[in-house]
Amino acid sequence: MNILAVSINHHTAPVELRESLHLSEDEIRQLIHHAKEELFSEGLIISTCNRTELYGIPKDHKLDILDIQNFIFTHKNNKNVRPDHFQTFASAEAIKHLFKVISGIDSLLIGDNQIYHQVKESFQTAEEMQFSGFLMKRIFDAAIKTGKRAISETEISEGAVTVSYAAVQLIEKIFSNLSKKSALVIGTGESGELAAKHLIDKGIGKLVLTNRTHEKAEKIARSLSVDVIPFNGFKENLHEFDIILSATSAEDLILTSDEIKSAMKKRNYSSMVLMDIAIPRDIDPASKNIDYVFYHDIDSLNIIVEQNLAKRKFEIPKVEKIINEEIDSFINWFNSLEVAPTIKDLRDYFETIRADEVEKNKNRFSPDDQEKLEIITKRIINKILHQPTVELKKINDQRSSAEETAVKVGVIRDIFGINNSNKETKE
Amino acid sequence: MNNTIDTINILLPFFYVFTFGIYSFDFWRGEKRFTNSKRVFLFVTLLLHLVYLLTRTIEFNHPPITNVFEIFTVLAFAVTFSYFILELITDIRGTGPFIIIISIVFQIISSILIKDNPNVKDVLRSNLLGIHVFSALLGYSGITISAVYGFLYLTLYKDIKLNKFGLIFNRLPNLEVLETLSFYSAILGFVLLTFAITIGIIWLPSAFPNFRLLDPKLVGTFLVWIIYGIGIISKAFGKWRGKKVVTLCIIGFVIAIISTIMTNFLSLSFHSFY
Repeated sequence: MNILAVSINHHTAPVELRESLHLSEDEIRQLIHHAKEELFSEGLIISTCNRTELYGIPKDHKLDILDIQNFIFTHKNNKNVRPDHFQTFASAEAIKHLFKVISGIDSLLIGDNQIYHQVKESFQTAEEMQFSGFLMKRIFDAAIKTGKRAISETEISEGAVTVSYAAVQLIEKIFSNLSKKSALVIGTGESGELAAKHLIDKGIGKLVLTNRTHEKAEKIARSLSVDVIPFNGFKENLHEFDIILSATSAEDLILTSDEIKSAMKKRNYSSMVLMDIAIPRDIDPASKNIDYVFYHDIDSLNIIVEQNLAKRKFEIPKVEKIINEEIDSFINWFNSLEVAPTIKDLRDYFETIRADEVEKNKNRFSPDDQEKLEIITKRIINKILHQPTVELKKINDQRSSAEETAVKVGVIRDIFGINNSNKETKE
Repeated sequence: MNNTIDTINILLPFFYVFTFGIYSFDFWRGEKRFTNSKRVFLFVTLLLHLVYLLTRTIEFNHPPITNVFEIFTVLAFAVTFSYFILELITDIRGTGPFIIIISIVFQIISSILIKDNPNVKDVLRSNLLGIHVFSALLGYSGITISAVYGFLYLTLYKDIKLNKFGLIFNRLPNLEVLETLSFYSAILGFVLLTFAITIGIIWLPSAFPNFRLLDPKLVGTFLVWIIYGIGIISKAFGKWRGKKVVTLCIIGFVIAIISTIMTNFLSLSFHSFY
C-alpha cells in the first residue's frame, strides 16, 4: 500500500511552529490544488490548532517523505521549522496514525472528540476538491468507523477535561434538571463564553450574561440568544440565579461573602452554585461556609479534570485494540484487491455456480451425457472468464498504478460479490 | 411443605447476598455490565421471598408476624420490595447496595433464629392484625429507605462542599434526586404508617383488653409519625429543604429503631405478642 503521511503536531513541535504551519480552510483548498498537481493522485489534509498533517498516494513511485516536506516548506514557509519537527509514516503505519488521530488518543487532550469532527470535515473537503479517490474513500470509511467505535465502545471521551466543562459537570451533580434553573455568567471572555455555551448545550432554563464592557456582553448574548444585565446592577438580582459562574479578569473580588449571604436569605436558602473560574478569584472563598452554597474555584475544578484525564488514559489500550482490529480489517480488504487472488476468487465463484447447477440437473441426463455435460459447462465458463482474466493479467503485467488496479479489481469484486466480507459471511 | 420452607429459609440470605454482590460490583467498578441482569436477580430474590412468606402463612395458618424473627423476614422483604418499586419508577439503579444490605442483616438474623410455631394466640390469626402489621412494616421500610437516601444526600453534600470527588461523587445520583427519593420514600412511609395507626386505634382496644394509649410502642410510633408529618408539611410548603428535611428523616428513623428495640426487648407492652 503506497500511502505516505507527514505530521507536525504537539509531540514534535512547540505551539509557535504549529501555529505557523496551521492552514485555514482556504489554504487547505489551495494546498490540495497544488498537491494534486505535484504530489498525490489522492489524499487528505488535516489542520487543527495542534496538528497539520498531509496524507497521500504518490503519483510517482519515486516520491518520498522529503519531497512532501519540501512541498510544505514551499507553500507555507517558516524558517524555524526543520525536518525533525515532522513525524513521517508510510503504508499501514500512515493509516494507523490516522486512526489514532481520529479516535483522540493522539490528541493533546486525550479523548478530545472534537478531532473526530475535524477529521471528518477534512475528508469532506478532500471529496469536494476531488482529492479523494477509491482508496481514500475506503480509508475514510474505516477511519470514521474506528472513531465511532472508540467513542461508543470505550470511555475515552467520558468526563470533563476542561475547567469550564468540569464546572458544568459539577453543577449537574447538584441539580437534576437544568431546564428549570437559571444561570448568570459574569465576564464574557473566552472562559465565560465557553461556559455559557456548555450551559446552553445542557439545556439551561434561563441564561443571563453580564460584563464590565456592556457592548461585548450584548454581542455574545446576541450570538447565543440569551439576555444581558448591566454590570453595575447585577448584584441586586443575585438571588434570582441558581448558578453563578464568574470568569472576569478583575484584580479584586467582585462578590463578597456577605453579598452571597444576603442573596441566600432572599431565596430562602434554596441551593446556589458558585463557580469561580477566574484568576485571581472573583468570589469570596468564604462563601463556601454558607449553607446550601456550593462554591468551587479553579483548583477544585482541576481535581475533576485530572481525575477524568487519568480515567481516559486508562482507556487507551482498549482504543488501541479497536485500532488494531480495524487496521487488520482494512489490510485484509486491501490485500484482496491484488490481481492473482481476484482471478482465483472469480474462477472459484463461477465454478461453484457451475458445479451446483450441474449437480441439480444431472439426473435429467443419461450417464453418458453427464460426462459431456461436465465438459461443456466447464468450457462455457472458461470462455466467459477468458476476457476478464486476460484484462486482469494485463493490469498486473503493465504495472498499472495502484489506484487503477484497485478500481478495476474492486469493480469486479463488487459486481460479482466476491469481496472478503461476503466470503466471511458465507463461511 | 416444612422442607420447602426450611430450604428457602436457608437459601434466602444467599440470594440477598448474591444480589447485593452484583449491585456492589457495578457500583464500585462503575461498569454497566449487569445493569439489566442485576434487576432480574433482585426480582428473583423477591419472588423467592414472597413464596417463602406465602408458604409459611399457609402451612402455619397465620401471617408471619407472630414473633420478632418473622417480623424481621417480612421487614427484609418490605425494604427490598419498596426499593424495587422505587428503582422501577425512577430507573435509578446505582443505590441498590445501600438498601439491600439492610435486608441482608434482617434476613440473616431471621433465617438463623426463626422458629416454626403453628400454635399462636387466636388474636394473631386475625386478618385485621395482619393488615395492621404489614402496613406498619411497609411504612417502616419507607422510613428506612428515606433515611438511607437522606444519609447518602448528606454524604454527597459534604463531599461536594469539601471538594472530595471520589466514588460517592462519581456514582451517586445528584443531590436533588437523592433529596426527592428520600422525600418520596418518607411520604410512602408516612401514608402507610397513618393507615397502620388508624387500624390500630380502631381495632386494638377491642382485641386487647389491656390496651393503653401510653403504651411505649404506640408513643414511639406516634412520635415518628409526628416527626415525618412535620418534615413533609414543611417541605411541601417550601419552608424546609435539603439538609434539614433529610436530617429530620434520619432522626425519625433512629427514633423508630430505638422505639422498636425498647418495646420488643426491654419493656412489657400489650403490643408484644411473643
